[in-house]
Amino acid sequence: MKAPVDDRLAALRGSAKRRPYNARSLAALENNPRCTLRALLDASGSDKAAIAEHAGYPSPFGQSAFAFARGNAFEAMVKDNGCAELLRVLRETLKLTLPEVAYLDLNDVGGDGSNETRRDRTAEVLLQAAQGTGDGTLFDHPMLYLEVGGQEAFLEPDLVAFRIDGRFYIVEIKSFPIIDGQADPAQVRSATTQACAYVIALRALLEEAGIGPEAVSDTVVLVAPKDFTNRPTAAFVDARKQVSALTRQLARLERISDLVDLLPEGLTFDLDIDKDDKRPRRPAEELAEALEQVPATYRPDCLNHCEMAYYCRARARAEASLDVLGPAVREQLGGIDTVTMALGLARGQLTPTADQSDMAAALRHAARLRAELTGEVGGAA
Amino acid sequence: MLSALAHVEAMETLEVVHQTEFRHRRLSGRPLVIIPLTMAGEAGAPLAAMVGTAKRDMTLLVVPQPRNRDQRFTFAAELGQIVMRYIDSYRQDRRGDGERSHYSDAPQILVPNHGGIKALADLGRMCRFRSASGPYAVPDVVPEFGMWLTFLVDTSEQAGTSMLMPVTAMLSEHWATGQSTLEDQNLASLMAWIAPPDGLSVEQALADAENPDICPPAGPATSPEFDNRHLAPAIQRFDAAHTLGDPHDLATAQAELRDLVAEQVKPTWRMMWTAISLLRSVPEAPRTAKRFERDCVSFTSYSDYRDAGGFPQRKRDTAIGAAQRLSRLERALADFEADMAFDDPFVLADRRSAGEAFAGTVEESVPGRMVTTAKNRRVPRPYVTLRTDDPVRLAAGTKLISPSMPAGHKAVIASVHPDGDTTLVTVEVTGGMGRSRTPNPGTVPEPGQRLAYLPDPGWRPTPVFPASDHTPWTHSPGPDEPDTDSAVPEDAAAEEWGHED
Repeated sequence: MKAPVDDRLAALRGSAKRRPYNARSLAALENNPRCTLRALLDASGSDKAAIAEHAGYPSPFGQSAFAFARGNAFEAMVKDNGCAELLRVLRETLKLTLPEVAYLDLNDVGGDGSNETRRDRTAEVLLQAAQGTGDGTLFDHPMLYLEVGGQEAFLEPDLVAFRIDGRFYIVEIKSFPIIDGQADPAQVRSATTQACAYVIALRALLEEAGIGPEAVSDTVVLVAPKDFTNRPTAAFVDARKQVSALTRQLARLERISDLVDLLPEGLTFDLDIDKDDKRPRRPAEELAEALEQVPATYRPDCLNHCEMAYYCRARARAEASLDVLGPAVREQLGGIDTVTMALGLARGQLTPTADQSDMAAALRHAARLRAELTGEVGGAA
Repeated sequence: MLSALAHVEAMETLEVVHQTEFRHRRLSGRPLVIIPLTMAGEAGAPLAAMVGTAKRDMTLLVVPQPRNRDQRFTFAAELGQIVMRYIDSYRQDRRGDGERSHYSDAPQILVPNHGGIKALADLGRMCRFRSASGPYAVPDVVPEFGMWLTFLVDTSEQAGTSMLMPVTAMLSEHWATGQSTLEDQNLASLMAWIAPPDGLSVEQALADAENPDICPPAGPATSPEFDNRHLAPAIQRFDAAHTLGDPHDLATAQAELRDLVAEQVKPTWRMMWTAISLLRSVPEAPRTAKRFERDCVSFTSYSDYRDAGGFPQRKRDTAIGAAQRLSRLERALADFEADMAFDDPFVLADRRSAGEAFAGTVEESVPGRMVTTAKNRRVPRPYVTLRTDDPVRLAAGTKLISPSMPAGHKAVIASVHPDGDTTLVTVEVTGGMGRSRTPNPGTVPEPGQRLAYLPDPGWRPTPVFPASDHTPWTHSPGPDEPDTDSAVPEDAAAEEWGHED
């Protein structure tokens, strides 16, 4: 008999401290929901950066002190004095008529900062507000939780939720600029993904009290520096599509328990960190063997957000997988997985399966055209 | 399909594979290379730029405290002077008479990657609305430089232009690597494939290319490790020296910062020039010259606009301006793609493998076929039937041009019939046969002849858009929205950029 899921996930993580879902793992969830390796590492709260480094592929996601300082300074400035700047922007830029404002910081609950206590306090306060018995308008640092692959994941947004006309709005504070009313689409997208997770989590919380999803708006408010200044501006971002996409992905996500059941007994990504010198004691080869037992779905885009990406790329290269070349090539060669297969079919050295016959003909034709141009022989008859 | 196959081959052999015969971009004899660096976190905060027209003739400009407003403008003015001197050197030799005359050459600025263009766009945006007089006066060159940068950035969005280009895009157009498009945007990774350093395999060179200690990023962002380990402490020392006001300490701190930044940017500088000489070794495509002439015309017209004291470009296009721009960009892309396929057998083959063009042998020709036009004229309209192995996906009625026939040859598809593994395509020749009632010799394909056809991007009249004071109400800004009609915002000269000291 197999151990319950939680125990198995804990075993995967081993002796390390549990890591919560963060912005990066949420983005990965949206960008690459089908990756088993990522799903397991995230669900078990493993330290992906440390694992990747010990496996020989240190992750390059260092943050520049400049970016860090600027991001923090901006957020602090927006939230200073009970969110005075935030209120100004909401009123002036977004033309919201916010009546009397009450600000509640849910960061710390009477000195007890544990996740569970904060979650309960968040639930209590937000439910009161939703039912019209509380008096809050702005809620800072709420602690939400989201079910990811059947596992509860805590979300600790550094955001403010505010309530106006009976609805909650999620506010994302970001330090990338909105220049002449336009921001970098990729950054807006990733900010919205985060906000979507919060929308879903907040809706789930209210649903438990029988409050419908319309109580949380799927329009999120993005607060970011205006042009090249440090002053904030705000914009509404319509997140309807992304909320439903993320909801669908979460629902479709293979249940972690199903994934866990497929793993060999005793598999762990534990690094066995030495208490004194903080260095992993587990042999790197042993860790590599453990990682290899789990399938990964590599895409070049992972290099932008997943700590494991360099490890996965090396694996994809070793397997000569076409994943290495990215979606542009993959889509053109639909149904072909490896370089060996693509070239084997193109050169007529492999016999295509029934599904591959059209693609094989196209590949042979392309190879023939190339051979004519380069004057090579061997481009198949 | 052909270029996908090229990437697969490159992955197998660990060597780059040619995917074009020619270089389709003009390469100036004297390009101006700019490597802009920005400070992480801050929006549009220049940190440094290395600039110059030859490998051994470079200028390094550094902003010691990138948050400081005055230092930013000093930087903008210095870089502006260098760039404007370069641009002005192309505003001398004018050919032709009167309104149709234009400069015979145009500038070309090369940056490492698309991020470099974005950095120049931000710089242009921050400079072009400034004023050389009044309470927020900046040096004369700053607004001029901003407007020119914005002009160049705008042209770079248009396919086939050459006045501002990322070198990575030029390289990856010709060479297919065994890595993704994303990784191809890293100059060092791309160069590791094309020309790995002596004694290194492609694999080793690739590993080095992603190691910021060996190959610092080509910008505009610097590596976070460099920021934290070296740059931040050096800026702090500069700030401290600045506060204390000791000129000797200040000079030392400044020199230290320069050296640090120079070490970061030099490897990219050398790589840029290696890339340029590699690109020079690829023959230029025949139609590049004609596209370059259009660059000269647009350069001249902007130059004249500046000479006449024209306004800076708007912050955002008006509805009509945006529609015009979109139409121009679409048009340019279609023309450029057709040009490339027309010139380059590799590009043509790529389109053939996708069914967007075809080549075959003429099986049958009816050179004497005549039709009567709507104007009641009898004209030759020969039918030619080709047999091709290509997976033709073009429909009857598609207008065609042919790189295998004399200039001016035009045809239209009459029918497409699959025949076993091959396809029979019948085309009606509609142009390029001369004015007489019998086609000139050699203008109608003959049986046994091999030839290729591709879709004609065609001549289209320039679309007519309403005048700006006749913008339909659906596209006018509402009464609450900012007035986009004023090209120069009132408070623009005072706009914050960085921090007061």
